[in-house]
Amino acid sequence: MQAAGGSADAVAAAYTTARRLGRALLNLSAAEKGDVERLQSDLQFDRWTLEDAGRAALLMASAAAHPDGFLRAATECYDRGDSAEQESWLKSTPLLPEPEQLLPIVIDACRTNILPLFEAVACENPFPARHFPERNFNQMVLKALFNQVALSRIAGLAGRRNADLTRMAADYASERRAAGRTVPSDIGLAMTETP
Amino acid sequence: MKIFDPHVHMTSRTTDDYEAMAAAGILAIVEPAFWLGQPRTFVGSFIDYFNSLLGWERFRASQFGIRHFCTIGLNPKEANNPKLADDVLALLPRYLDKGGVVAVGEIGFDDQTDAEEACFAKQIELARAHGLPILIHTPHRDKKRGTIRSIELVRSMKFPEERVLVDHNNEETLPIVLESACWAGHTIYPNTKMDEHRMAALVKKYGSDRIIVNSAADWGISDPLKVPKTITVMRQQGIDEDTIQKIVWTNPVTFFAQSGKLDVSEIDARPEIDRKLQYATNSVLRGER
Repeated sequence: MQAAGGSADAVAAAYTTARRLGRALLNLSAAEKGDVERLQSDLQFDRWTLEDAGRAALLMASAAAHPDGFLRAATECYDRGDSAEQESWLKSTPLLPEPEQLLPIVIDACRTNILPLFEAVACENPFPARHFPERNFNQMVLKALFNQVALSRIAGLAGRRNADLTRMAADYASERRAAGRTVPSDIGLAMTETP
Repeated sequence: MKIFDPHVHMTSRTTDDYEAMAAAGILAIVEPAFWLGQPRTFVGSFIDYFNSLLGWERFRASQFGIRHFCTIGLNPKEANNPKLADDVLALLPRYLDKGGVVAVGEIGFDDQTDAEEACFAKQIELARAHGLPILIHTPHRDKKRGTIRSIELVRSMKFPEERVLVDHNNEETLPIVLESACWAGHTIYPNTKMDEHRMAALVKKYGSDRIIVNSAADWGISDPLKVPKTITVMRQQGIDEDTIQKIVWTNPVTFFAQSGKLDVSEIDARPEIDRKLQYATNSVLRGER
């Protein structure tokens, strides 16, 4: 973590180098999972890789050592990141400080057509349920339906359902039927009541 | 049968596509400015993109006997980038005055945010100032509401509806568009949006007035021959030749001719192809001259 130094460039360079940790799954032991659960009960690491973990640790260490430079360094890592780096970055958002400052980047990331990037935000990640405004949260759920991403993977969905999302999901079902297409079987998870 | 594909992103396509399109009877196309898949981070990327639509891509199309027009605008996805949006909007007046720019577009809604609505409204004003029609992209998600909101915005700004093409319609949005005076575009895609058989059913139900079809072929799973393929299916379904010709030629030509930059008498015939021509010393030939 010494390499992280202070400058955003140095952190971003180390963030790239973390690819050498590889893409093997992190595979936490039961005891480690227990420790995580005591810290933040809604965190899930089942799909995290070693490089994801290394990059998260790097950003957390950088934030602890240089809190004033954190936002610039984190933004630099995302803006100049390749897809793998951006995926790691998005997965790590629930662990990072200043979530309100990171929020615009995470919302913008949902506009991607690169499915693994979208999943890094939408799936097994509590950040959207914790921080997204209702309209952005609803768009994310609709995009998951649109891309055949199982809604059960959206952390905290049950607690964020709302009347507008229910209407949007019902409209989507109606549009699919009018086109002679199937309706996703888990669409009810997006609705506060079954139509 | 003369064919016009009024929405196709040729920048993402190959010369094989151009050859196949010309062979299938496509005489002219409109390439709307849009999102490139990878978000842009500098306003300069837009300058080069717009220049490429007006320069190299138009030249490339001409090398296959296809007339290339374009629309210029800030797409709704990137309207959400506050670091870029104002700078891109400031660029637009210069580009909208250029030859071959036949509309402002694609504009409209994606996530239906306030930033998108603000950029949409500003571009409707630009279209009015430059005497151009507008091409509206309707969103993938919450499409019906996005379509209604788009028409309401046009109406509230008193922009003439007959100069508006609302694109990517489906069974539920088409009747909404036809209730207005706007034109209704349909994107025929391999998997999403609309397909050939559903399109033929819509034509049987609603007729051909203000109805337009396009391929919207781009960097995704898409097919630049979808307009000719839709013609085949419409014929199989017993739709008459005059109706089909109106949908795949007369309607888009009439709509975009409202820009004053599309000469109806000129585009009727296939342009001469001269492969010896060069664009800034580049040719589509690769050493075979």
